[in-house]
Amino acid sequence: MANDKNRKAILVTPEDCIGCRGCQVACKSWNQLPGIKTKNNGTYQNPPDLAGAAFNIIRYNEVPSTENPVRWLFVSRRCMHCDDAGCMKICPAPGALYRTAEGAVAFDRDKCIGCKLCVNACPFDVPRYDAENKVTKCHLCFDRIGAAMQPACVKTCPTGALKFGDRAELIGTAKKQGFKTIYGEQDLGGLGTIYAFKDEPKLYGMKENPTIPYSVIFWHTYLKPLSVIGLGGVVAAAAIHYLAIGPHKEKDEEV
Amino acid sequence: MAEMVRKSSSDEILNHWILAGSCILLIITGFAFLFHLEFVGSVFGGFNFMKTVHNWLGVVFILSLFYSMRHYLKDALEYDDDDVQWFKVAGGYLSHKVKVPPMGKYNPGQKLYYLAIVVAGIAIALSGFGIWLLKGNTTVMLLSHLVHNVAFCIFVIAVPVHIYLGTLANPGTFQIMVNGMVPLETAKKKYPKWIKAVGKM
Ligand code: HEM
Ligand code: SF4
Ligand code: SF4
Ligand code: SF4
Repeated sequence: MANDKNRKAILVTPEDCIGCRGCQVACKSWNQLPGIKTKNNGTYQNPPDLAGAAFNIIRYNEVPSTENPVRWLFVSRRCMHCDDAGCMKICPAPGALYRTAEGAVAFDRDKCIGCKLCVNACPFDVPRYDAENKVTKCHLCFDRIGAAMQPACVKTCPTGALKFGDRAELIGTAKKQGFKTIYGEQDLGGLGTIYAFKDEPKLYGMKENPTIPYSVIFWHTYLKPLSVIGLGGVVAAAAIHYLAIGPHKEKDEEV
Repeated sequence: MAEMVRKSSSDEILNHWILAGSCILLIITGFAFLFHLEFVGSVFGGFNFMKTVHNWLGVVFILSLFYSMRHYLKDALEYDDDDVQWFKVAGGYLSHKVKVPPMGKYNPGQKLYYLAIVVAGIAIALSGFGIWLLKGNTTVMLLSHLVHNVAFCIFVIAVPVHIYLGTLANPGTFQIMVNGMVPLETAKKKYPKWIKAVGKM
């Protein structure tokens, strides 16, 4: 998937973002999400984090600067559409989280059983839940991009801080433009939300070396196969025992 | 009619089948979640309802596991030299020629099976309740998820061994879980120390 030619992505360029939050509004509008009542807690970042009715937010990240009195890095936060997606790995309900032809991780709320395992396996703490405890998150506007339109947030972005397109092309262009880091190029098999950074990812408040929790990897690689091999092995061993050695007979006990 | 002796009481038999029934359904639905077995889901009209069934079967299972303690726990905690010898001859399962030492009501394999089911059963139930009810806490969720699946592996290995030993491998044993009775002559050979203890030998 990571090198798949059809894979689409959103490229985020924080330095181009003016913090207008048009993307947040466009997302709500397209997905018909209600407003969230919040209170001022000393930052323009609002709502404070992703929520059942907020699939994307702009993080208002203020960082130290010697050149400017204020240096604000506005960073779009949303589902990363990981190639190796922890949420999909752990989900026990078939079809609740699924991969679209464009490489997005979309969801089907009718199939979700509301177990909330996915948020715990997500390296980025992304999935949220609606009033009926069904999973909700950014789905890369799979319904729009499937019809050759841009995601709502990208369509509305006035500055080009959000760009949508072929993943490989977006990365190629950003590299040519001389960005220091393309965050998400390799992580988790390659992310579907990638970031063009001029500085260290840490400065933008990004997780370095994101990974799926080790317990989930251990479970997926060892425990799942063991359950099948264990059951199958016992059934086979019982059959062999029955044929080769045979059941206890009463006369055996008389020795 | 040969003289019979009662090995299992009727409440023990009833509880065994509640325990066994819930356990096996939990295993089947558990496999369905693990490997997205849609045909199992459709038996329950979808995964949503199957999740509800799985949760409540867990409640039935742990209650009957606790109730089973009055039947087996005391026996399962007592071991003697004959039990050690039993392991040395692998319970007579690998050769019919070895001499199996005299046994009490349960052999040490059964006793350890019971303890394994109790330990894994409590672990799988607690972790199941963790996933079901403590969704807000990542550590609890991930730890529960891990413990639930480790215990699951113990179950899918131990339970089929038990079923084989309780049916095909030991003809006549299955009847104990039907009407609770064993022919006295058989019991004298298979469980001599128990028969002596109850004064019939
Ligand atoms: C359909 C499947 C099963 C069959 C045919 C079966 C059969 C039997 C039989 C015949 C006994 C009596 C053994 C004796 O008194 O010597 C027994 C005992 C017992 N069974 Fe099952 N069983 C089944 C499933 C289960 C399951 C799923 C569990 C556990 C969760 C279980 C737990 C026990 C326990 C704890 C005992 C007490 C004695 C011992 O440790 O062997 N059984 N079973
Ligand atoms: S960011 Fe989280 S929710 Fe999005 S695809 Fe990756 S693991 Fe899944
Ligand atoms: S909450 Fe829904 S989408 Fe998330 S793991 Fe559970 S069933 Fe899957
Ligand atoms: S619409 Fe574009 S410029 Fe406005 S906040 Fe969103 S990413 Fe930034």
